[in-house]
Amino acid sequence: MSSVRLYLKYLHLHLLTGLQYKGWPLMVLQVLIVVITDPIGIILLFYRFGSIGEWSVERILLIYAMAVTSFGLAETFCRGFDYFPWRTIRTGDFDRLLLRPCSLFVQVAGSYFHIHRISRVFAGLGAIIWCLWRLEVELTMLHICTIGLALIGGCLVYAGVFVLTSGLAFFTIQSLDWIFIFTNASYQVTRCPIDYMPQVLRRFFTFVMPMLVISYMPAAAVCGWTKTYWLGLAALPAGLLFLLFATLIWRIGVRHYQSTGS
Amino acid sequence: MRLTRRANMTKVRAYFSLFRIKTAEGIQYRLAGLASASVGVFWALIEIVVFTVFYNYAANKDAGTLAGLTLKQVISYVWLSQAIWTMQPMSIDAEILKKINSGDVGLELCRPMDLYAHWFAGTAASRLIPVFWRGTVTLLCAILMPVPYRLGLPASAIGFCWSLLSFFCAFLLCTAFGTFVATVRLNVNWGDGPMYMMMLIGGVLSGGYLPLQLWPAALQTILLLQPFAGYLDIPIRLYLGTMQPNDAGSLILLQLIWIALFVAAGKALMAKRLKTIIVQGG
Repeated sequence: MSSVRLYLKYLHLHLLTGLQYKGWPLMVLQVLIVVITDPIGIILLFYRFGSIGEWSVERILLIYAMAVTSFGLAETFCRGFDYFPWRTIRTGDFDRLLLRPCSLFVQVAGSYFHIHRISRVFAGLGAIIWCLWRLEVELTMLHICTIGLALIGGCLVYAGVFVLTSGLAFFTIQSLDWIFIFTNASYQVTRCPIDYMPQVLRRFFTFVMPMLVISYMPAAAVCGWTKTYWLGLAALPAGLLFLLFATLIWRIGVRHYQSTGS
Repeated sequence: MRLTRRANMTKVRAYFSLFRIKTAEGIQYRLAGLASASVGVFWALIEIVVFTVFYNYAANKDAGTLAGLTLKQVISYVWLSQAIWTMQPMSIDAEILKKINSGDVGLELCRPMDLYAHWFAGTAASRLIPVFWRGTVTLLCAILMPVPYRLGLPASAIGFCWSLLSFFCAFLLCTAFGTFVATVRLNVNWGDGPMYMMMLIGGVLSGGYLPLQLWPAALQTILLLQPFAGYLDIPIRLYLGTMQPNDAGSLILLQLIWIALFVAAGKALMAKRLKTIIVQGG
């Protein structure tokens, strides 16, 4: 409980610091433009080529938006882990964290927080609502819960990716750029209709990194594309499992830590 | 007269060695380059899968071919654009940014060198470094792929020569724009926001998100004339042969005009900014 309070205090402090910079609305706008322009390629493709069988632009955008919103949530609330390999460990600041009698996890997670990252979440939520409206899905309580749980699960998955990267950073400080495949590049996969996606990609993003479990499956359940509704609820357990695995790697990493910097 | 010419030569040589030293230093990070290449290859494969699905199963599956790009050409487009994607300025040179933020610009002004040319050389190096490993490894993968995914051969030998020249102009264009944005960033009060927005607009309009020929038909002329087509789209069109070698001269001239404009704008803005520069730090 005290960890949660500490974490919230960290966020509060970072929020106040961030607001000191007069340019913060510009940063919010900038991230918003990044998020809005990102799917422009796929939208223009649909505009020129038309739908692919049952797959319309709304369907693809819904799955895409689910993944993006999850990513945005993780980026907002776990920014510390995202920055960890590049900022905290290289400068040797991690030594100071080790000295404090508080949860390491909370300290790292709360070490950075940027208000403008939340615009990805808002843009994503907006896109989800628009797609559901266009697809004429009736929003029952169950559906809203499914989507909510999926977003929480998704946040855990992407937080897991950040934690995993941080864990690996103990062994190799440089050349972690390939992790990009699991973050910003991972949700690009959702641009491909699931029925036409190569098996390798599909299995990889279901069983290794459960990106499709938190985006496609809940969307399919809510919109009734499949008969098995319960698969849509698998997002939260999948997210928890992935985060657990990442935490394991992180623990091993911490145990191997030898200080850097001076 | 001869003396000034000689002095000019020494200056040019100084800027060139700045560029050379920085490049040589940067390309030592082989592993970082390979990691970046792995992302490039992954991204390219996803793009190819998406395009293949559209070209084979979409309602108007001939729309792409009608727009002048066959599936084979699109696949080559994806590989080439991924190979040189990181040449585009996505942020300004880290060293320059640090100098602006820490106030070391004041120190830079003490050097008997033209600051614009100095920054241009630095930006050029930081545009070339990321492409060096990522580009070669991505192209190697592109050639070794199984047939449906492979990078196609250039349309003609002459077209290939023109496209090489155009790729070089693209490099200069990226550098000129990168330096221009750095001069905008000289205004510390604005922060990073405007800088990133300018870069992002360049990225979207370059054709890296979607080949410009597949954008709506009504916009085609504007899309070709805007400066950022010169980043990727023009050189790749010459490579693919979707633009004939006869037009190559005027296309490269277009790139050169934009380079000249960005250089002029950068120089003018820098001269203006340096008059009222705020040097931070102490």
